[in-house]
Amino acid sequence: MPEPSARTQLLRATLGNVPGLGDLSSDAVDSIVLAAEEGETEDGQLVYGGTEIVTHLYVVRAGRVRLERAGSAAERTRWAGSGETFGWHTLTGIRGERATSDGATTLLRIPERALLQALASAPLRREQLRASVGGRAGAIGARAKTSSEAQASRIFRAMVDRAFQWFRSPAPYRRLLGYALFFGGWYLTVEAWALPHFDRLPGITEVVHEWLSKDPTFGLSVYTPEYYAHIGSSLRRVGIAFSLATALGVPVGLALGSSTTFREYVFPVFELLRPVPIPAWIPLAILVFSGAEAPIVFLTFLASFFATALNTFLGVRSIDPKYVLAARCLGASPWQVFRHIVVPGALPFVLTGLQISVGVAWFSIAAAEMCSGQLGLGYVINTSYTEVKFPTIVIGMLTLGILGFATSALVRLVGERLVVWRARELSMERP
Amino acid sequence: MTSGAIAWRPAGTQRAAAPVLPRSARADALPRRRGAIRIADAVKYYGTGESRVLAVDHCSLDIAAGEVFVVIGPSGCGKTTLLNALAGFHSLDAGSIHLDGELLCGPGREKAPIGADRIVVFQNGALFPWKTVLENVAFGPAMRGTIPRTELLERARRRLAEAGLQGYEESYPGETSSGVKRRVEIVRALMNDPAVLLLDEPFRALDALTKAMMHEALIASYLRTGSTVFFITHDIEEAVFLGSRVAIMTSRPCRPKKILSIDIPYPRGRETVTSRRFRELVAEAMAAVHEEALKAYALGEKEG
Repeated sequence: MPEPSARTQLLRATLGNVPGLGDLSSDAVDSIVLAAEEGETEDGQLVYGGTEIVTHLYVVRAGRVRLERAGSAAERTRWAGSGETFGWHTLTGIRGERATSDGATTLLRIPERALLQALASAPLRREQLRASVGGRAGAIGARAKTSSEAQASRIFRAMVDRAFQWFRSPAPYRRLLGYALFFGGWYLTVEAWALPHFDRLPGITEVVHEWLSKDPTFGLSVYTPEYYAHIGSSLRRVGIAFSLATALGVPVGLALGSSTTFREYVFPVFELLRPVPIPAWIPLAILVFSGAEAPIVFLTFLASFFATALNTFLGVRSIDPKYVLAARCLGASPWQVFRHIVVPGALPFVLTGLQISVGVAWFSIAAAEMCSGQLGLGYVINTSYTEVKFPTIVIGMLTLGILGFATSALVRLVGERLVVWRARELSMERP
Repeated sequence: MTSGAIAWRPAGTQRAAAPVLPRSARADALPRRRGAIRIADAVKYYGTGESRVLAVDHCSLDIAAGEVFVVIGPSGCGKTTLLNALAGFHSLDAGSIHLDGELLCGPGREKAPIGADRIVVFQNGALFPWKTVLENVAFGPAMRGTIPRTELLERARRRLAEAGLQGYEESYPGETSSGVKRRVEIVRALMNDPAVLLLDEPFRALDALTKAMMHEALIASYLRTGSTVFFITHDIEEAVFLGSRVAIMTSRPCRPKKILSIDIPYPRGRETVTSRRFRELVAEAMAAVHEEALKAYALGEKEG
C-alpha cells in the first residue's frame, strides 16, 4: 500500500472535521477518502439543482455555496461555508434544493454508497451526520450535539410527546370524570336524594362550605391556624417516622437479602411481627414510651419499616444471579458486588417499598393519633366525632387523603430521578 | 452565468482499493499466547442417589492457546457444564482442568477460582442495566483498580470505538438493541485481556442478520486480542464460521464425538459462507450432529 500522500492526509483532516464522520474509525474514514471526488467551481456554477435527487454528500473545502429551497424566499436561502456539508437527499430529506457556487469553490463529494458502508458500523453517527448536514432549523454545518446533549433532548422530546399523547388520550378525562362521579354521587345520595343511612352523613356542600369558611361553625377551616397546626404536627411525625423507617429498613432489607445467616436468624421473627396490626401495638407503645409524641412516631415508624425492609429484601432476591456471576468474573470483590450489583439492582424495588411505606405511614398515624396526643389529623377526626362536629371529620379525612397522595407522588418523583436507567428503559419501551 | 458540469476527479492520491477491515494483520504478531486449556477425564453428575444423571462422561479436550474452540451438540447435552467448570461456577465429580499448565480444578481443588482471566459472556447477556455502556465496559479494571480512572475511561472509549460502538457510551444497555448489547458485552470482557473468553450461546436470541454481523465483529475482536475462545452453540453454520476447531459432542452424557479442524483462514467474511469448503465442512458437521440429535430424540422417548 503506498504511503498516504500529503493530499490524502489533508482530505482526511477535512473529513475529520465533519461531525459524524470525523470520529469514525480510521479504516472507515480511509474508505470514504478513497471514494471521494474533488472538483472546482466558478462563481455561480450549478452544483446540483431542480428536481434531481442528490446522491452525494458534499463537503466545502474552500469558498461558499448558496443553497436555495424551492420557492426561493429569502429565509429559505442558506450558505454552506468551508468545512461544512450539504446535499445527500437521504440524510437531509430535502428535495428540490438548488446548490450554486457563491464565488469560486473547491468541493469534495462522496457517493452515498461509500457513506452507507462506513456508517453501517456506527448507526449513531448517522444521526450526528444528519444533524450536521442540517435538515434541522436551517443550521447547515451546525456543530453536532454531543451524544449526551442529543440524548437529553431525545428524552425531553419523548416526554413532551408523551404529555401530548396523554392529553389526546381519554386517560385525563376519565380521571376527571372519576372524581366527578365520586363527588357527584356523594352529593346526590347524601343531599339531593337523602337516601336512608346516607342522610346521616355530612354532605359535600356542607363540608366544602365549612372547609372554606372564614368563620367555620365547628372551628376548623383553611382560614384557622389550628388547621395548619394539625397538618404540621402530622406531617412532622410522618416525616420523622418515614426517615427512620428508611434509614433502618433499607439496610435490614439488604442484609436479609444478601446474608443467608442473617436471614435465618431474623426473618422468622420479622415475619411473626409484620402481620401484627398497628393498633395492636398501641398499648405497648404508650406503656414503653413516655410523652405523647414518641409513641405516635414509633407506631408510624413500625408499619413503614416493615414495608421498606420487606420490599428491599424482595428487591435483592429479584436480582438475576447472572449479574453477580458476571461481576465476580470481572474481578469484583464481595463488597464490590454488594455495592455495584446488589444495591443498584434492588433499588427499583426499594423505591416501590418507599412509596408503600409513605402510604402506610399515613394509615398508621391516623390510628396512633386517635389514641394519644393533642394535635394531628387523626386527633381531629377522633375528637370531632365525640364532639359531634361531623363536617370536620370529613375535612380531616380529605386532608389526610390529599397529604398521602402528595407525599406518595413526591417519593415517586424522587425515585424516578434515582433510577434514571429504569426510566430511560421504560421510555424506550413506549415509543 | 451557470457554466457546464463540474469536472469531478478522484480526490487525493489514488490508492489500491483496500477493503474496510479491522486491523487484523496483527493476529500472528501477538507477543505471547496464553489460554491453553486441558480438560482431562472430566466427569459430572447432576442430582443424587437413584435420580442422578451423568451429564459429562470422561470428557477430554485439548485446546491450544489462542484457538477458537467451538463446542456443538444437542441442547442439554452438558456443554454448559464444561463451561461452568472452566469459569469456576461448578465443580467436577472427577477429572481435572488445567489452564496454561496450572490446575484450575481437579484433585485437591474443588472449584476453579472465579476471576478475570476467564470471562463468561452469558446466553442472555449480563450487562448491568443500571450502568451506562461506558461504565459497563470499564467495570472489570475499575473493580480491580489496576488502571487510573481517567486512563481507564479513555481506554474503554477507544475499545468501544474500535468495535464500531462509538456514540453509545452514555446510553444504558436497556436503550440499545440486542446486537449492540452483545457487542458491548464482548468488549467488556476483552477489556480485561482474559486468557480465555467463554461464550455460552451468546447469539442465540438474535435474528439471523444481526447474528451474521455479530460473527464478523467477534472474529474482528478475536483477531485484535488473540484470547482463547471457548464457544458453545448448537448452530452448525455459526460453529464452522467461527471456529478454528469444532468439537461435536455426544448427547448425554457429553463427550467429544468428532473434532473438525476448520482450515479456512481468518479473517472470514460473508464470502466465506458461500465457499465450497465451508459448505463441505458444514455438511460434515451436520452429519455428525444429526446422528446425535436422533440419539437424543430416541433417548428422550425412552425416558418419557
